[in-house]
Amino acid sequence: MNAAPALRCRGLTVRFGDVVVLDALDLEVARAETVALLGPSGSGKTSLLYAVAGLLEPDGGEIEIDGKPTRSGNRAIAPEHRSIGMVFQNYALWPHMNAVQTVGYPMRRRGISEDDAAAIAHRLLAKLGIGDLADRLPDQLSGGQQQRVGLARAIAAEPALFLFDEPTAHLDAALRITLQQELMAQRNRVGASALYTTHDAAEALAVGDRVGVLRNGKITQIGRPAEIYSQPLDLWTARLTGAASLLRARAVKVESDRVVVDVLGTSLTVPPIDCVVGEAVDLLIRPDWAELGGPMEGVVERVRYEGPHTDYLVVTAAGSLLLRRSGGPRLAVGESTGFGVLRAWGLPVER
Amino acid sequence: MVDQLVSRLSAPRLWGWVVVVVVASAAVGFPLFDLGREVIGAGSSAALEVLGGDGAWSPIVNTIWTSSLVTVLTLSGATAVAVATGGFSARRRLLVLVAMASPLLVPPFVSALSWVAAYGPGGLIDDGIGISLPWLIGPVGVVILLVVNAMPIAYLIVNAAIRSRGERDLVRAARVCGATSLRAFWTITMPLLRPALLASGAITFIMSANAFGVPVVLGTPARFPTATTRLYQDLVLSADPAAFDRVLVLAAFLGIMTLVVVGVADMSNRDPIRLRTEPSGPRLDSSDAGRGAAMAVAVYFGVTAAVPIVALVMTSFTRGVGLAPFPPNWTFDNFREAFASGAGSAFATSLTLAVVAASVVLLLGGLLVALERRRRTGVGTVAALAFAVPGSVVAVAVLLAYGPWLRDTVLIILVAYVAKFWALGHRPIAGSADAISPELSGAARVSGAGALTAVRTITVPLLRPALAAAWLIVFMFALHEITISSLLYGPGSATLAVTVLNLRQLGDPTVTAALAVLLTAGVGATAIPIVALSRRSGVFR
Repeated sequence: MNAAPALRCRGLTVRFGDVVVLDALDLEVARAETVALLGPSGSGKTSLLYAVAGLLEPDGGEIEIDGKPTRSGNRAIAPEHRSIGMVFQNYALWPHMNAVQTVGYPMRRRGISEDDAAAIAHRLLAKLGIGDLADRLPDQLSGGQQQRVGLARAIAAEPALFLFDEPTAHLDAALRITLQQELMAQRNRVGASALYTTHDAAEALAVGDRVGVLRNGKITQIGRPAEIYSQPLDLWTARLTGAASLLRARAVKVESDRVVVDVLGTSLTVPPIDCVVGEAVDLLIRPDWAELGGPMEGVVERVRYEGPHTDYLVVTAAGSLLLRRSGGPRLAVGESTGFGVLRAWGLPVER
Repeated sequence: MVDQLVSRLSAPRLWGWVVVVVVASAAVGFPLFDLGREVIGAGSSAALEVLGGDGAWSPIVNTIWTSSLVTVLTLSGATAVAVATGGFSARRRLLVLVAMASPLLVPPFVSALSWVAAYGPGGLIDDGIGISLPWLIGPVGVVILLVVNAMPIAYLIVNAAIRSRGERDLVRAARVCGATSLRAFWTITMPLLRPALLASGAITFIMSANAFGVPVVLGTPARFPTATTRLYQDLVLSADPAAFDRVLVLAAFLGIMTLVVVGVADMSNRDPIRLRTEPSGPRLDSSDAGRGAAMAVAVYFGVTAAVPIVALVMTSFTRGVGLAPFPPNWTFDNFREAFASGAGSAFATSLTLAVVAASVVLLLGGLLVALERRRRTGVGTVAALAFAVPGSVVAVAVLLAYGPWLRDTVLIILVAYVAKFWALGHRPIAGSADAISPELSGAARVSGAGALTAVRTITVPLLRPALAAAWLIVFMFALHEITISSLLYGPGSATLAVTVLNLRQLGDPTVTAALAVLLTAGVGATAIPIVALSRRSGVFR
């Protein structure tokens, strides 16, 4: 069995004029793995996918798909010979082709007869729950239906690697989650690898076997979703992946496997970080890592009821803390409260 | 039905409609009706007799084959350029647009004259390096110049179609699906361009079939008649009464063919692919992509527009026929002589016609927009059809209808201009009015403005650029109009373009060049504010 990863990028660089879009980026996607790339707009997500697809000529670096280099000699391998299936942010459905023709298109390009391609396309569309829309043109389909056709088209290409370019960005919240699950279920069924870009943290954490954080054309952190969420590289990454508060603490004891800190007069043990005894440390605390009632003191400044849970913003001497508790509001603005921190992640103080 | 309509209209609106209907039927409806009656009255036997003779048959055949060839060549060229330069950066795309569209500013007969000045025997290139194109006078020259004149519009339509859809990602999606770039072009790009190709094909064909300036300059001297030039000869230069039957047959032919082409293009476009306005995928510019295409556009611009115009300008400064158009032989006499030979009064005539026609059209357009609460009640379509009717046909129809009273006057030319140019003015105004969302004046009303105040403070200021653009466009077209005025002018009512044509036929190329340069400068000077205004009003975006 071939052990080569489904995708390997080394030193990948893309420039538009003076602007460096991808800055010597390294990335690997293992076989049957989904890597979700999370980054704000302008971070280079789309350029990376387009470079992998061969729709954009990189200025430097190497790309291997399924162990095969994407250049031979001086010439880049054309997109049609790269064994990829792509799902576009804007669907990119051809306005003059109905769903069956669209899904049949990649098969026709592989020399499959028109009848066979149509039959397979019908089956694929039925699997995605839109079998009855087979003869509709794109403008007769809703956004979610259009993206299902786009997905069926990508599957029909039988690719070694799926490229998902923010596929749910133009859908409303409820539909996004349905379609995400659909995308991943289909990917799992086919067993191909996937590179999935999004600017939505929850989506990245949900779909990725690994999540990579893309910032200014570089992958600054990559790891399992829980790792990215609970051990972010810095405050920027923490904020990108969800709500987070910082409390100022002081290192009391620094050991190889743990650090003990003092925050608001209470001792806490956190995973090891690079710091010196007696110096300040920032504690990153997710809203669900703290609870009401406990040794530390603060004043409620804001209460926001969201249905399943209520968020409290508690102002303390060490900073403001966002705290989430299931159920309705139990405290009013201005009340003093005690709280406890269940876990925390230390970060060096940023200046 | 009419009662219902009248009862729902307030008095001012009723009177507004009366004005529109009266002007429309006087300028367009009555003359065309009269022409139709005359043609039918002449009888099919007379028509067959005319067609049997060579006098009408060969110009009709010439018109059909040249227009068909011009359409094929123009569409291929325009599509090739639009596709090849589609991936250019915004700045370079603007350069391509300017290079492709700026020849629009040169009146077709001037551009034919300028080609003769550049590439004809005794032209600039002949004097410089001893090469000339003798076949420029004749069918080949006619076809080439018609292509050059049709190219800007065809390019603008195809280019807009390419730009207005998410085509970048659509083609990319096809490539990812395994299509080669050629296959992606045939299966994705071409089908999506079909409506634009049909539209620009129909326009190119009609423009070429109805063209007068180019064939009269390049075809007539080589005894290569087209329908419009033969019609001109029969109506203006011939004293033979049988010639008038031929005029009717040729006018009927041009009118019917135009309607057929418009109808066919419209029917085969019944089910147009609807455009979407979603994000169209990132532009991925590579700085050295399409260098060849950029070179080709530059060369095309130089050969078809820049060199001929330079040659024309140099000729206009040259002392005497036969001298090389270089600085030692330069003089201002041609311009002086041009005005001495009656160009002064022709200039006044053209200017008056252009100002009055533009103002009438502006009033009509503004009135219509004010009246058409809901747009597209059909008046716009009628106006557009009137613009498609060939200038020759409009002229013959107006002559038949009003000739007995207005023959040889400026007024008869004015009536024909209003009929012909109405659509030109109507479109930018209606387009801009459609783009103004009703909420804007609604917001003004809610803020305390009365109905009239809302129109005065919101609608009119927003429409002002479009109104100005409409006026200037009609002014510009009327200023260099030749087809209609060459058929309708009389002693004392010759327009500037007609004067250029007559000077040319008298055989004075340097004075002709001087006058043509002045005319083109006037058109160009009008075009600058039009472009500025339409960018602001978004009419042509």
